[in-house]
Order: sequence, then structure tokens, then C-alpha cells
Amino acid sequence: MNLDKLLETGDRCIHKEPPACTAQCPVHLEIIDFLSEIEKGNFQDAYKLMEKRIPFHKIIGRICDHPCEAPCERSKAGGSIRISDLEKAVLEYGAYKPKKVWPVPKNKGRVAIVGGGLSGLTVAVDLDKKGYIVTIFEKNNRLGGQLWNFVGDALTEELLQEELQAIKDKKIAIHLETFVDKNSLTELLSEYDAVYLGTSKWEEPITWNPITFQVGSSTLFVGGGLVNETDSVIFSVSSGRRAAISIERYLSKVSLTDSREREGVFETVLRFDISNKASLPAIEKSGVIYSREEAIDEAKRCVKCQCRKCIEGCAHLRKYEMSPDAYIRQINHNERIILGTHYANKMINSCTECGLCKEECFLDISMKAVIQETRESMTERGEMPVSAHDFALKDMAFSNSSRFSLVRKQPSKEESKDLFYYPLISFSDYVKGLYKGTGKTEYLFYPGCQLPAAYPDDIKSIYEYLVGHVAGDVGIYLGCCGAPADWAGRKDLINENIEAIKKVWEEMERPTFILACSSCIRIFEKYCPEIKVESLWDIYIREGLPNKEHIKTPQTLSIHDACATRENSDLHESVRKIVSKLGYGIEELEYSKEKTKCCGYGGLVYFANREQCDAFVSERIGESENDLLVYCSMCKDLFVSGGKRTYHLLDLIYPKDNIEAATRKTPTLSERHQNRSQVKQILLKEIWREDPMEELMAEDYTLIIHEDIQKSMENRYILMEDILMVLKNAEEKNERFCNPETGDYLAKLRRENVTYWVKYSNEGEAFLIKSVYSHRMEIVEE
Amino acid sequence: MKHESNDKTKWLCDKCQRELELAKVKVRYMEGNFEVDLMKCPTCNQVFIDEALALGKMKEVEEGLEDK
Repeated sequence: MNLDKLLETGDRCIHKEPPACTAQCPVHLEIIDFLSEIEKGNFQDAYKLMEKRIPFHKIIGRICDHPCEAPCERSKAGGSIRISDLEKAVLEYGAYKPKKVWPVPKNKGRVAIVGGGLSGLTVAVDLDKKGYIVTIFEKNNRLGGQLWNFVGDALTEELLQEELQAIKDKKIAIHLETFVDKNSLTELLSEYDAVYLGTSKWEEPITWNPITFQVGSSTLFVGGGLVNETDSVIFSVSSGRRAAISIERYLSKVSLTDSREREGVFETVLRFDISNKASLPAIEKSGVIYSREEAIDEAKRCVKCQCRKCIEGCAHLRKYEMSPDAYIRQINHNERIILGTHYANKMINSCTECGLCKEECFLDISMKAVIQETRESMTERGEMPVSAHDFALKDMAFSNSSRFSLVRKQPSKEESKDLFYYPLISFSDYVKGLYKGTGKTEYLFYPGCQLPAAYPDDIKSIYEYLVGHVAGDVGIYLGCCGAPADWAGRKDLINENIEAIKKVWEEMERPTFILACSSCIRIFEKYCPEIKVESLWDIYIREGLPNKEHIKTPQTLSIHDACATRENSDLHESVRKIVSKLGYGIEELEYSKEKTKCCGYGGLVYFANREQCDAFVSERIGESENDLLVYCSMCKDLFVSGGKRTYHLLDLIYPKDNIEAATRKTPTLSERHQNRSQVKQILLKEIWREDPMEELMAEDYTLIIHEDIQKSMENRYILMEDILMVLKNAEEKNERFCNPETGDYLAKLRRENVTYWVKYSNEGEAFLIKSVYSHRMEIVEE
Repeated sequence: MKHESNDKTKWLCDKCQRELELAKVKVRYMEGNFEVDLMKCPTCNQVFIDEALALGKMKEVEEGLEDK
């Protein structure tokens, strides 16, 4: 994994970028924090922030020309936050007596400051604080320069005098009525280690470095009115502070230019979407300054600009409170660990890889792509926790084994001739389709693994429909596309799987695949774009629906689009057309179509972090009062398990009279296996009229399994088959423990990489299962 | 990974009809090999692991090793 590239992706994330107000403030007051403190009534903490950032905060806070207000996002929804008025209120309600600071020893060098105006005073105070011997040369008979022009209601003469006195009290040498010209500047330059020129005018043009304010490579630095094109006080103090930093760096012999990109005013790359915020007008002052309450209310209008679009849409990012930049740093760390714990593994396996983050991002940052690459890297390096995806991968192997997998061409005309009789040949579309058979497979119906597992009864109906409706022969191909391997980052397995699919495709002379599962569509598009695919739902729209008359009760449904179909707008339309044609109303969810959410199954999160999966489920099912309509069987099963009435599209197309489809019990993991095998058997027997090739798993034992044990089996990924094998071994070999007091037996069996334990008792001929559990650790019995 | 069973009732090895004894047992997972005290049959060496151990301490160690 290219970690440098990964970190670059993280750096593009604008979550941590400052808001426009702070970026446009030349001294970068942390305005969101400042307003948050006011909002909480903590005027003193707000004051501390001013004190920390703004030189002469008591003066500037009263006369600042507030360039922070114009770019305020709130201006688009009620008017900019009145930051300047809030600063005045904070100075009033939050000021405290400054702590006495002990002067540091003055041994770091001598600096002359020409001009005792705002910028010169800023340099003087900043350098004095750091241990430089500072001397001010001022042509007038008082310090302050243009500050005196501001004396009025906001800035009283008394306050200005007080602040200037504080400078004098620092024992900074001050030479008033001392005019410095070109010649005397040369003298100062030779006499002092550095000179700051902060006069508003100078007798000849000077050029300086716009970042360091240094003149050439000399010991002269400039600021204030000379460099600022405006008479803005905040720009003046900012330039003084920046020049002071340069002087300190220069005299300390460190780089003058390193990491200074964001000094002064800069354009933030943060983008913020305020469109969903209600407009709120600014709070008007009832007096000269805001009252405390007014200040609090005004501060509350701040929307705290921060890009959280991906986080807001994603139950995973919210659970871990991670923005992409922070997430990527954690992945980077996780990838680099050689010795130690990979703390981020569980988090990385808790992303559904649904892709909503990229849809929401202003910059198209895709955590789905990042997570996929990370999981691939983890599996390649053997760092992927086996238990996270083991069951899903075994389930995939089951689906591709002879117990489910099947490839057949459409039954030939020759094989079907006994069906070609009246009235069948006239009224059955299926038989008509068989009659038109050419022997060349134009389509291959690939229902995937989870649909047959959940809708075993419908696969034959769908197949017959397809034979009767699409032009050309339709074959069938049962198996798993490999989505679990893709989600698990198992490149080896997915490639192997895709090769197997391609081989069938070639052998069948490159038919179009008809897909019914959203995940299959995604996998085919990603790994074998050369195979032409059509969605079953698109075909229903093109060829007409079966069972048109079957609508039970018309109602309004909310459609939850499958996340794997995010970019497939045609499919979204087909699904909506089917729902409408069947007579149902549709109320769209806020997050739908290209902005749909994942049900929680995606990325195998169901297996890797059940709690995270549940968070996705409960969030999604809470988004509509209506019954949901889905077209992915895992979405349906999870929503129904979460207690939400949910229809699968097939429930509407092939309604059953005897069951309430919206609450139909989810098949267990074992039933999923059985159902898949059953689909294969039914198709072989009823379509191809072949004898079943294999026996279904022989159930020699009668088991009694109560509901609580069923639940444990599901949560612990233990199949009926595992229990049967444990029992078989125990009963045949007597390898078990017995408890004479209770009459219980406890038996175990290691199957591949898991040891399964079953506690049971004999109930006549049957076995009553009392508990089931497993571990991966291997016990060496010797 | 020492474990005292919460199960107060006595289990016997059904094959050997012997009481179980606490003994040093080797267990391994991924690159980790340990020796722990577990109940086992002194004759056939069958090791007894109850639910609390499998889902508690053992799972914790497994997860710890998987994240190493």
C-alpha cells in the first residue's frame, strides 16, 4: 500500500481547515472557540482567547476593523455574526487583572524599533517578552501613533494612556522626539543586532520579502503602514507580530521561511454547506454594547463552520467520530506497526464500503476506496484478523461448491417436446419460450447467493418468466459472485472466482448475464466489465411484469436503494416504475438513489462488528414511517430483524397469499444453506428433469433446538451442520464428557479452523441441544 | 489463561469414565503457543473447555493475537 499517497488523500480532507472568519483574521483569533465560550456564558475564557491571539487586545478589541465578519457563512442565512460587537462585550464582561509575569533575562540581542506606533509597539512587546533588549525611537513626543485618532466612545484616552503606560513599565528604552532618517538608520543598523522600521512613511522606496518582511538579507525588517496598503489596525499589529517572529528567527539563526504559509490573511479551503440551516437575523444591541444575554444569543447563531458532510451521513464515521483525515492517519499508523497491537483493525473492518462519503464530499474523497485498499494490504501481509470474515468466506465457498453451484443451458426443444401440447403450448409463456429454443444461450440468469437463500421458491418462477419473455435461450448459473472476497480484501479469492465466472461465460459463448442482486452487479462491473449484464428489474420493465393483478393493499412505500447500485440511475428508475406499476405510492427518503445509505451488511460489517451493523440498521429504519421497499435480500433481512416492516421487490412481484411478506422471518444461516441447496434440487428436478445429483445433508439425528439456542447459533455463526457433525463424532466415537448429576453430554469437534462444542442430553430418540459455542484456538491433546 | 470453571457440577470423560484433572495443556493460535492449566482426562487427554472460557478469556486472547 502506498502510504505517502494515502496521506496525501488525507491531507485533501478539509475537515480540519479553519473557517473563513479565522483565516481572514490577520492574527487568527480562534473565532469558533471564542463564540462557543460566549455561548456557554464563559466570558472570561473568551477573553483569554483574545488575550492569547490579539496584541493590545484591550485596544484592538474596541477598534478592530473586523475583516472576519464579511466572509461569515451566516451572512447567507440571516447576516454575519457580529464578532466585533461580541469582542467588545467580552472585554466588558470577561476582563480580569493580568497575572504578574516575571521579566525574562534580557540576553538574546539588541533590537532597535523605529516608530512607536501600533506595529512598532507590537514588535517591542513581543521581543521584550522573549528576552531581547528593545529600544524604541519615536519622532513625536508620545507613543501610539495613529491610535490617538481612534480616541472616542469605544477607545477612551484613559484606556489608551493605561496601555501605553504598561509598555513604559516594562522598562523598554524609549527615545521620544527622536527622528530617524536614512543616515541615522544606517548607524542603528551597525549598532543593533536588528532594526525594525515601523514608520508610516520612508524617504526612499524599500523592497522587502512579503513573507518575512526582511529587507534583502540585511538586519532590517519592516511592517506597519509601510507594508500595509490600508490603515487597518489589525493588519498593523499582524505585520508587527510577523516581523517580530522573523527577527527572532533571524537572531536565533533558524530558517526565516519555514512553515509560514498561513501567517496573516489566507484563503481557507474549507467549504461549508449552509443551505439546510434556517435563517436567523443578528441580535440587535439594546445598549452601546451587547448585554450578556444578547451576546450569548448572538454567539449561538454561529454555525461553527466545519465540513462534516461525510460524517453526518455515516453511522460508522459517527460511531468512531472520525473525519477522513484523522481516519487516514490511523490507517497509516496501523499499516506501519511492526511490533505491537493494530488497534485500528476493528474500525477498518467496520466500514460498509457503501461510498456515501464520496458522494457527500466536496472533494470526492472516497473512504470506500481507502478502506478497500487497506483491507487488501492487510490480507496480503497476513495482518487481517481471520475471525472478521471467516464465516462469510466459508459461506461463499459453500455457494460455489456442488451443494449450490449449477450451470445449465435452457432445456432443449428435443428434451421439452413432451410439453408442446395444447393448451400448454398456447397459454404458457415458458413452454412457448422452450419451443422457440435455438440451443444458443443468449442470456444466463445469475441470481446470486443471497436471493436463492432468502427466496428459494421464486427462483424457478423467475427463470420460467425469463425463458418465456426474453428473446433467445436463457441458461442458469448458480453461485456466488465473490462479493464477500472483495469486501474481505481477498484479491486472490476474488480473482479466482472471477476467472471461474469468465470461464463459464466463454463456454456458453458469451451470453448476457441477468443479475438480480445489487452486489453481483457491482462485482461484475468492477471485475469483468467485458461481460454484458442486465438487471432483472430492467427486464421486468422492458418485457412486462408477471402477476400484474396481484396487489394486496395499495400503500405508500419508501424505497431504500441498495448501496451497490449507487451509480446506477437506470436501475433506480426501473425499480420505481415497477413499484408504481404495481399500484404502490412512493415517498422518497432523504438519502436515496446516488445518496442512499447502506443497510449495515455491506463490507461484511455484519460479521466483523455486529454493534456497528446494528447502528446502521436502526438509523436507516428510523428514517421513514412508511414500510420500506428494498431490492437486495440482505437489506430486507436486516431491516426486518431490526423490527421494520420491509418488502423486497420480489414480495410485490411474486406475492404469496399465506404469509405477511413485510415481516417474514429472516432465514437463519443454516436455512440459507438449505434453501440454496433446495433451489438447486428444485431446478434440476422440475426444469431439467434430472435426478438430484447429491443427497441433501442426511439428518440421521432428530434435534430439539429452542429459540435461545437458535439465537446463539446465529450470533456465534454455528450451523446446524456443525452441530450434527459434533454429535455424530460424539455418538460414534464416544468422544465426549458426561455429567452424571445432570445426564448432560458435552462434545466437541474441530472443523477446519474452528472447534465447535455442543452440550446436549438425550430426550428419547432425540437430542436436546442445551448450548453451543466455539473457539478458534487449537488445543494440543497429547 | 488460567481458568477456574464456573460449572460446579462434575464432568467425567465419557470414554474413560475418569474424573478430570487440572493439567498443563498446550494451546496455539496463529503464531502464539502457550501452556495453560485446563481440566483434562488423565487417560485419553481429552481437554474440557466450558462456555465461559471459550467465549471469555479464550476469545479475548484470540482477538489480541489477531490484532498483533
